[in-house]
Amino acid sequence: MKPPLIKCNDLTKVYKMGQSEVYALNGVSLEITKGEFVAIIGSSGSGKSTLMNMLGGLDKPSSGEIRINGENLGTMSGKKLARFRNATIGFVFQQFQLLPKKTAHKNVSLPLQYRRPKPDNIDVRVKKSLEMVGLADRATHRPTELSGGQQQRVAIARALAGSPQVLLADEPTGALDSKTSKAIMALLQDLNRQGITIIVITHEDEVAAYAERVIEFRDGKIISDHLQKAA
Amino acid sequence: MSPFTTLGLAASSLIERPLRTLLTSLGIIIGVAAVYAMLSIGEGTKREVEKQLSSMASRSFTIWPDWNRRRTSQSKPSFPFKESDVDEIRNIAGVFAATGSLQRNSTTISTEIGDTAANFLGVDPDYLKSGGQEMLAGENISYADIEQSAPVVVISDGIQKTLFKNQDPIGLSIKVNNIAFTVKGVTTAPDSNISFGGNADMFVWAPTSSARNRVIGGNPYVRNHIRSIRVIGDIGANFPKIEQEINIIMRRSRDIKTGAPPDYRIFSSRGWQERNAKSQKTISYLLAAMGAISLLVGGVGVMNIMLVSVTERTREIGLRMAMGAQKSDIMSQFLTEAILICVLSGLIGLGAGYGLSQISLGSEEIKMVFSPKIALLSFGSALLIGVIFGFLPARRAARLNPIEALRHE
Ligand SMILES: Nc1ncnc2c1ncn2[C@@H]1O[C@H](COP(=O)(O)OP(=O)(O)OP(=O)(O)O)[C@@H](O)[C@H]1O
Ligand SMILES: [Mg+2]
Repeated sequence: MKPPLIKCNDLTKVYKMGQSEVYALNGVSLEITKGEFVAIIGSSGSGKSTLMNMLGGLDKPSSGEIRINGENLGTMSGKKLARFRNATIGFVFQQFQLLPKKTAHKNVSLPLQYRRPKPDNIDVRVKKSLEMVGLADRATHRPTELSGGQQQRVAIARALAGSPQVLLADEPTGALDSKTSKAIMALLQDLNRQGITIIVITHEDEVAAYAERVIEFRDGKIISDHLQKAA
Repeated sequence: MSPFTTLGLAASSLIERPLRTLLTSLGIIIGVAAVYAMLSIGEGTKREVEKQLSSMASRSFTIWPDWNRRRTSQSKPSFPFKESDVDEIRNIAGVFAATGSLQRNSTTISTEIGDTAANFLGVDPDYLKSGGQEMLAGENISYADIEQSAPVVVISDGIQKTLFKNQDPIGLSIKVNNIAFTVKGVTTAPDSNISFGGNADMFVWAPTSSARNRVIGGNPYVRNHIRSIRVIGDIGANFPKIEQEINIIMRRSRDIKTGAPPDYRIFSSRGWQERNAKSQKTISYLLAAMGAISLLVGGVGVMNIMLVSVTERTREIGLRMAMGAQKSDIMSQFLTEAILICVLSGLIGLGAGYGLSQISLGSEEIKMVFSPKIALLSFGSALLIGVIFGFLPARRAARLNPIEALRHE
């Protein structure tokens, strides 16, 4: 069996709200293998985003340990974590988070601008990423000149530009209509078939249906984890 | 992120918000222009004062017998000076020139064309040279003229105009109180702050000996007497020291007992000029401080805008962090932006300040000069303002929590 790409061990995240404590995560253990397409579902406030932020090295657990490629994120310095995010993770957000005054091309090049050492083929890689999401002809458009679906595809191209091992998408279709949502999910499925590990948070069953594996959260715990035949 | 990319990023963020950039830079532009203008006014004044202090007039002492003493019926009248006094003073260290002269204030000078009242002086060759006067035609009085008591004179251009109707007067005859002299040279009137009364343009200079023998007359007590002595110090000489030495020489020569008041007076314009210079300096410091304050206010404006900008771009910062930006990348992005705006405004401000100084060149009151030192100083202060006032907002940006930043509305 392949060693897991991601391995979480008994993760907790506690927020102190005055006297009371809120457990955003409460003992989550999880393994994800390279090349998987995972959907995380669960009711609002169940801890899905909290987990995803930890997997992406944006947040640290109160206890427990996350290893990605065998490396412990908990012991990494801020600088090393930034490099880890840059090289290993590609983020896709519900609100796209594109820079409104920059062209699609500039937006997509963002991860490569922070790559050390600076790659000399940034333009080529940006073009390739835009091609992968089918927006090669929109490179000079600004986000305001694009539809919602197109904006999210630019965001996906941006996540891909740095050639990450894992794509983390927190409700990538949350701001899109169902037809566009399907197109985006089909795109993610396609990318997964090219070898990228994808983890998607969603509320919608239609979206989760594209994944091979569905993990359900409730109150900071995993209540089910099963494989399914993808749509 | 490479420094070049960071610079491009800072530049594009300034370009993307043109109005804000303009308004922010205005404070710095005005501040730098003010600092530049103030410093160069100060520098201009300083140079003007230095020029004044190194001019002949302010480097000179004039020694006169004390007229008051004679009037208040002392037992002994005030003696004139001797030519040997001049020789002794000339040997004091730091003395550039010492020259004795005789003077009669209203003499009648006449030619065939007309007559005028003028100042008539008996002088030695050093007198005209040390007065900073320029020979316009002919020659200066020579030691041979003094030796021979030659009936020659040098006239001021004022005399030339009035009594020779601007024709070449060299070799022509001129009468001083009806005594005939030959014009030997023409020179400018002395640029002196010692008043010669109403005839400030009208001068006739003869060799000391001829003036004494032919016009002014001898003195009953002193052979070869001198009416006043002018002493000129070297540039940068120790003037109080020279004055002290003059006193020693004069007291010995005039046999003044220790403790007794001197029967002569030493005049110099240096004292008030130095006081003047000091107050000019104070004023220019004050002006520079005002410029610095406006620069400071401009700097606070930059900080304010940068803080607003960081708040406004919180989501951008969160995004950049999620994309792998390190704290140092964010820090340098915002710091570069602040420095860039200050540097650009600094350059514009320098231009404005320079323009201002060119305009003020027309006015006599304000003297401004361009000096690279001042330009560098005012530009450097803009740079410094950028670093100082950009630091806090940049640090705030770098310390943002990426998750919260991404959620920021
Ligand atoms: N900064 C915070 N301070 C306090 N509590 C927090 C904070 N962030 C998250 N929480 C709490 O942690 C819990 C899990 O939040 P999380 O954002 O992971 O939920 P989620 O599953 O992503 O929900 P949604 O589907 O609505 O996005 C929630 O109860 C939330 O209130
Ligand atoms: Mg969430």
